[in-house]
Amino acid sequence: MRRLPAPWIRASLWLAISLPYVGAIILLHSPQIDLSTLFDNRQLAIEQGAILLTALTALLAAFCSVVPGYDRRILLLPILPLAVWMAVLGESCIDAWLSPDAFDREARLDWDCLPPAVLIGVVPAIAIVVMLRRGAPLTPGVTFALGALAVAALANFGLRTFHPSDASLLVLAVHFGSVAALALAGGWIGRHVLRWPAVQFRAAR
Amino acid sequence: MDQSTEADHLGSLMRAAQDGDSASYLRLLTEIAPVLRRAVRRQAPFLQSSDVEDLVQDILLSLHSVRATYDPARPFLPWLFAITRNRVVDGQRRQMRRAANETLVEEYPETFSDDRTNGLDESYGDPEALRHAIGNLPQGQRHAIEMLKLRELSLKEAAAESGMSVAALKVAVHRGMSNLRKALNVGV
Repeated sequence: MRRLPAPWIRASLWLAISLPYVGAIILLHSPQIDLSTLFDNRQLAIEQGAILLTALTALLAAFCSVVPGYDRRILLLPILPLAVWMAVLGESCIDAWLSPDAFDREARLDWDCLPPAVLIGVVPAIAIVVMLRRGAPLTPGVTFALGALAVAALANFGLRTFHPSDASLLVLAVHFGSVAALALAGGWIGRHVLRWPAVQFRAAR
Repeated sequence: MDQSTEADHLGSLMRAAQDGDSASYLRLLTEIAPVLRRAVRRQAPFLQSSDVEDLVQDILLSLHSVRATYDPARPFLPWLFAITRNRVVDGQRRQMRRAANETLVEEYPETFSDDRTNGLDESYGDPEALRHAIGNLPQGQRHAIEMLKLRELSLKEAAAESGMSVAALKVAVHRGMSNLRKALNVGV
């Protein structure tokens, strides 16, 4: 019997798998934004920081949730960075709505980013499902919701690096809406996928 | 043994069990069973003893299935009680679902609820009277009673032997039994 590694080790392992993959997808689609603009655009830097922190805290909370004995309050870890992300996104939406530039207000979706948007989460999602199943299903819905939030936030982080920084109102709403929808779907799926394993007994010889 | 010493002792047994020591594992399961019973009774004081035992077994099985999640660097009892709380709540949910769809009765009826099928005096005191009553039955009914009740053939076997259909045999045996009750004044 192999002991389950500590949650922070498992989180690091997941990041070691997912970050290079996300990076590869970003490079394949050529980042349209120069990473140095992160330092110039304060709002974007805060948004990306909040997204990344949401992903990391949700990830850690998910891995802690399958180990009995951790304080349940650790499940609340992603709330603060998520709130910051929502606040920054809300501000961006308001700016886009009030912008004199009609380009920002137009309801348009850039369908070109749909394939990478789907691809970017595939490997991280598979990895987190496999890893979360190795643990105790104490709060299956919450565990999977946190896992889905981590995957979706990391995917969003990747997408925002090559999506134009002055994204339209609708794109911003779709990005965040998809994260929320994935987290809810993860919570629903978790109740059906994470169950207490049946114990198999071998006959005594 | 005070509480912290006991917790350390259980933790060390669990650590040894994770390393493959079966004797330590058996000792651990034996020692925590009464701890679990007390914890379950505290969390769900309305449960009957049999339900408490079921839950304790459930917790021990769950502990076995997730024993890899115990970190020896962390205290053992919070790990154990987290599993216990979770399984007790699951057990209570299961019980509520069951209670919503089942009605508990004190005595389980052995027959149908009809009074005629629950007569207290069902024994034929006089075998000779029974033989005489069977002999007085119409031929079809007598054959059906002999094959199905005395020789205990199945309906299929009796149908094959007599040439009667299964439906006809059922009707014949029902009428025969009714006539026998009347003749012997049983349950009438």
